[in-house]
Amino acid sequence: MKHEIRFIINGESRSLTVLSQQTLLEVLREDLGLTSPKHGCSTGECGACSVLLNGEVVNSCMVLAAEVDGADILTVEGLATDDELHPLQKSFIDHHGVQCGYCASGMLISAKALLNRTSRPHEEEIREALVGNLCRCGAYADIIKSIQVASRARR
Amino acid sequence: MISRKPHVIGKPFPLIEAQRKLTGVTCYAGDEKINPDMLHARILFSERPRARFWLRNLDAARNHPGVVALLTGRDVDGRMGHTVADRKLLAVDEALYAGQPLAVIAAETPEIAAEALALIQVDYEDLPATLSIEESLSPGAPAVHPDFMSYRGAEKLNAEPERNIAHALTFVRGDVDQGFAEADVILERTYTAAHLQHAPMETHGGVAQRQPDGSVTMWMHVQAPFLQRSIIAGALGMSPEKIRIITGCVGGSFGGKVFVSIEALLAAIALHTDGRPVRLLLTREEEFKGVFMAPAMRAHIKMGAKQDGRITAIEATYDWDVGASVDAAIFHLQAVTLAGTGPYAIPNVSVRTNAVYTNLLPAAPLRGLGVAQVHWAIEQHVAELAEILNMTALNLRQWNLVKGGDHLFPNFVMHASGLESCGVLAVDAIGWRPETPRPAEENAADASVRPGVGRGMALGWSPIILSDQCGSSVTIRFDRERLCDVVVDGVDIGQGLYAFVTQVISFELNIPVEWITVEPTDTANYAPDWEASYHNLLWSMGHALLRATGEMKKQILSYVAKVWGEPISNLDIVDGEVVSYASRRKLPLLSLLEEGMGEEKSPPSFSVTATYRPSNVDGSIDSLLQSFASTAYAAEVQVNPETGDLTILQLAAAADVGHALNPESVRAQIKGAMIQSVSFTLLEEMVFENGVPISTDFMKYPIATTADMPLQLHPIVVEVPQRSGPYGARDLSHHVQVGAAPAIANAIYRAVGVRIRDLPITAQRIYDALQEKRARESAVR
Repeated sequence: MKHEIRFIINGESRSLTVLSQQTLLEVLREDLGLTSPKHGCSTGECGACSVLLNGEVVNSCMVLAAEVDGADILTVEGLATDDELHPLQKSFIDHHGVQCGYCASGMLISAKALLNRTSRPHEEEIREALVGNLCRCGAYADIIKSIQVASRARR
Repeated sequence: MISRKPHVIGKPFPLIEAQRKLTGVTCYAGDEKINPDMLHARILFSERPRARFWLRNLDAARNHPGVVALLTGRDVDGRMGHTVADRKLLAVDEALYAGQPLAVIAAETPEIAAEALALIQVDYEDLPATLSIEESLSPGAPAVHPDFMSYRGAEKLNAEPERNIAHALTFVRGDVDQGFAEADVILERTYTAAHLQHAPMETHGGVAQRQPDGSVTMWMHVQAPFLQRSIIAGALGMSPEKIRIITGCVGGSFGGKVFVSIEALLAAIALHTDGRPVRLLLTREEEFKGVFMAPAMRAHIKMGAKQDGRITAIEATYDWDVGASVDAAIFHLQAVTLAGTGPYAIPNVSVRTNAVYTNLLPAAPLRGLGVAQVHWAIEQHVAELAEILNMTALNLRQWNLVKGGDHLFPNFVMHASGLESCGVLAVDAIGWRPETPRPAEENAADASVRPGVGRGMALGWSPIILSDQCGSSVTIRFDRERLCDVVVDGVDIGQGLYAFVTQVISFELNIPVEWITVEPTDTANYAPDWEASYHNLLWSMGHALLRATGEMKKQILSYVAKVWGEPISNLDIVDGEVVSYASRRKLPLLSLLEEGMGEEKSPPSFSVTATYRPSNVDGSIDSLLQSFASTAYAAEVQVNPETGDLTILQLAAAADVGHALNPESVRAQIKGAMIQSVSFTLLEEMVFENGVPISTDFMKYPIATTADMPLQLHPIVVEVPQRSGPYGARDLSHHVQVGAAPAIANAIYRAVGVRIRDLPITAQRIYDALQEKRARESAVR
C-alpha cells in the first residue's frame, strides 16, 4: 500500500510517496539520499541509524516511514548551519570522539537530544544517554569527553 | 631569518577524515553507488555444520520475475585461499559448516532477491561432523578436509589432515626435561578462550560492476584490498589485473575484513549480470553467521621454577579452533608462537601451536592476533606460580623478564623496551603497591582494600611481524594541478592512517598540511602482483614514506640548486619555500610549480615512488619479526560474593609505543582497546548449537556499551624508542589489547579467592567458582 506523507526534514518541508513496509531509515537513505544514518542491525540494537523524530531519539530502522507524516526529523546532515559546524561536531573532531566513524552519526544525534534536555549533563547522564549507541572501536571515553566539552562551550 | 617550523611529529595532529565522518559525508559500504538501476545480491548460507545437500526449485528461483542471475557451486566451482586454498567459493554437494555459501542471487530489488532465495528448498542429509578442538583431535574423528593434500598450497603448511591439524608451529630452546628436573615447583594448568566475533558496526558489503572488457571493478570497504584481489582472482580463475578494488573508509575491521569472505561471490555474480552495478550488504544476522569467527583457544601450560623465583622451563601447547579453514589464521599462528612464553626469558622452552580444523565457521584473526589469549593463560599462570613461591607476582615477573640484549630467537636479539616501566606505571595508576599474595579472606581484613575488592595486573609482549611477500609502497606527486598528491596501498580503518601519512609528509617536506591529498586506495594504481601490507602500517608505510619524502626533497632541491648554481647542500625546504642558507635566496614552492624558474619555460612536476619490503632471510619463524611491543594492564575490581557480579572500578593500560607521533591519537587508541578488551573479557562468546551459530544479534552477542565501561580508565603512554622504527616509533593497535583479561582475572582472585580459567569471565562462572570454593572449604571443616 502507498502512503502520501509530508514531513520536515532538516528544516525543509518534503512530501513523498512511501510503501507500508518501508522504514524511515530506508526512505532517508535511498529516497532522500541522506546517508548519515547507517544500517547496523535492523533490529534497534545498535543505534547507528538514530535520528531525531520530534526531538526524541529513535532508531530509524524501527520506524515505518508511513508513521512520520507531519513529523519534524533531524539527521546529521542538518546539524551544521551554513558554513559552521555544530559545537558537538567540532568537539568530536577536537577530542578524538571518532575512530572508524560508523557510529558517529548516531552518537551525535543521541548527544544532541541529551543537550536539548539538559544543558550541562554529568558524565553519568551522558553514559546513560549513549547506552543504545554501540561503538565497536570502544571510543566511548573520548565521545563522552567530546560531549562534555561541547556542553560547556555552549554556555 | 630562516627558522624551521615547529615539529609536527609528537604533537597533536587532527584525524584527516574526522570532519567528513562527523558530517555524514564519508562513504561506507552501504553508501556506495546508491542508484535505482543497481542490482541487489543475496547469499544462501548452509544451515547445517556438515551435510550433503540438494538445492531444489532452482528453476523457480531463476525464473522469478526480477531475478537477473543465480549461481551455485555447479556454475562456478572455484577454491579460495591465499596460502592454502582450503575453502570453496560455493559448496558443491557437501557443505562443510553452517554459514557456508550455497548459492548467490542478483535481482532488481533486495526484496525480490530475498523472495527468490526463499523459493530454493535445501534438503540436507547430515554427515558426521566435529565441532570442537577436543572432538577433532580425538582418535577416529571425521577428517574435516580428507583431500587437504590436493589443495593448492597444501605443501606450504605443516599439516596432518587425517588428525585435523591444519598447521602446526613449534619453537624449542634449551632442554625442557632438564629445566623441569631443576625446578623446585612445577605448575600445570589448562586455560580456554571462547570463539569471538569481529562484529564491526559496518557489516560486510560493497558494490561490483562488470566492465565492458570483462574485468570487474569493486567498491569495497576492506582492510586488505591487494590480498583480496589476489584471492578473488585465484578463486575465479582470472588474472589479477582483471580485478580492480577501490577502497573507501572502513567502518571497522578488527581483522574481519582482511581475508575474503563474501567478496568473491559479489565479483562472481557481477560477472554474470548485464553490467549494472550489483550491491551486496550483509544483514547483521548474516554478519554473525556467514563471515568469519575469531578462533577459540585451549592452552595447556606447564611451568617449572626454582624456589628463588627463577623460571627454569615452560612447555606450552596452544590449540586453536580455526573452523573449516586455516588460510586466514596462518599469520595468527606465527604471532602466538613467537609470543608463546609471555615476556619471560626462560632458558628451556617448548612451545607448540596447533591450528585445528572443525566443522565450524572459518576463523580469521581478531585484533590482537591471539596474543591476548596467550597472555590470558601465561599471566594467570605466573601469578599462581608466584603465590606458590610466596613472592609477589610483580617480583616474579621482574626476575624473569625479557631484557634488551637477550638473544631470543636465531635471527632476533631483544631491543630496549618499556616492559618493566609499563608494569610499574600501570600498577601505580590504580594506586596499588603490590604486596605478598595472601588468601582473599585476609585481603578483606586489609584496611586499604574493601571486602570483595581486589587488584591484579598482567604484562604483555606482542611481536610486530610483517607478512611474507608484503610491503608498502607510496607515490608522491608534486605539481601545479594537485599540489601534493599521495597514493598509498594501505587503508584507513579508523586507526588514522591517512592522518599519519599527511603528518609525515608535512613534516618531512616542511609543507602545509592543506597542500596534501591522500587518494582513496585503489589496486589499479599498482602492479597486478603487488601485495600490500595491511597491518603494522606505521612500520612498513612509515619506512616507505621516509624513503619517498627523502627522494622527493632531493628532486626538488636539485632542480632549484641547478638553476641557482648552488650546491644542493646549501638548500632546504622551510615552510613551503626553498631557501638557501648560503645565499639567503628564497623561492616559494607554489611559484615554482606555477611559473617554473630560470631558463626553463614550463613549470616542473615531481614524482617519486618508494617501497619498503622486508627481506625474509630464511623463511624461519622469526625472520620477519621486527620488534616486540610491550604493554601492561592493572585492574581494580569489585565482586559481589553472593551473585558473582563484577564491577571494574579502575583499569589502567600502559603501552610502549616507542615514540607517540600523534599523542592524542595514541591515547584514543589505547582507551578504545581497553573498552574492547573489557568487552572480550566479560561479555563476548560466540555460541553454537550443534554447530550452528546462535549468537546472531547484539542481544545474544552483547558487546560493551557505555554501561559496561570501567568507572575509571587510565591510559598510559610509554616511550622507549625503537631504533629501527620510523622516528623511533612502534605500532600499537594489536598490542594494546594484550593483558586486560588476565589482569582482571588476577584481580578477581585477589578479591574473592577464585580463579577463572575460561574466557569470558561471566558472573555465572564467578558464581559457580565461588560455590565450588565454599563446598570445598566446608568439606575441609
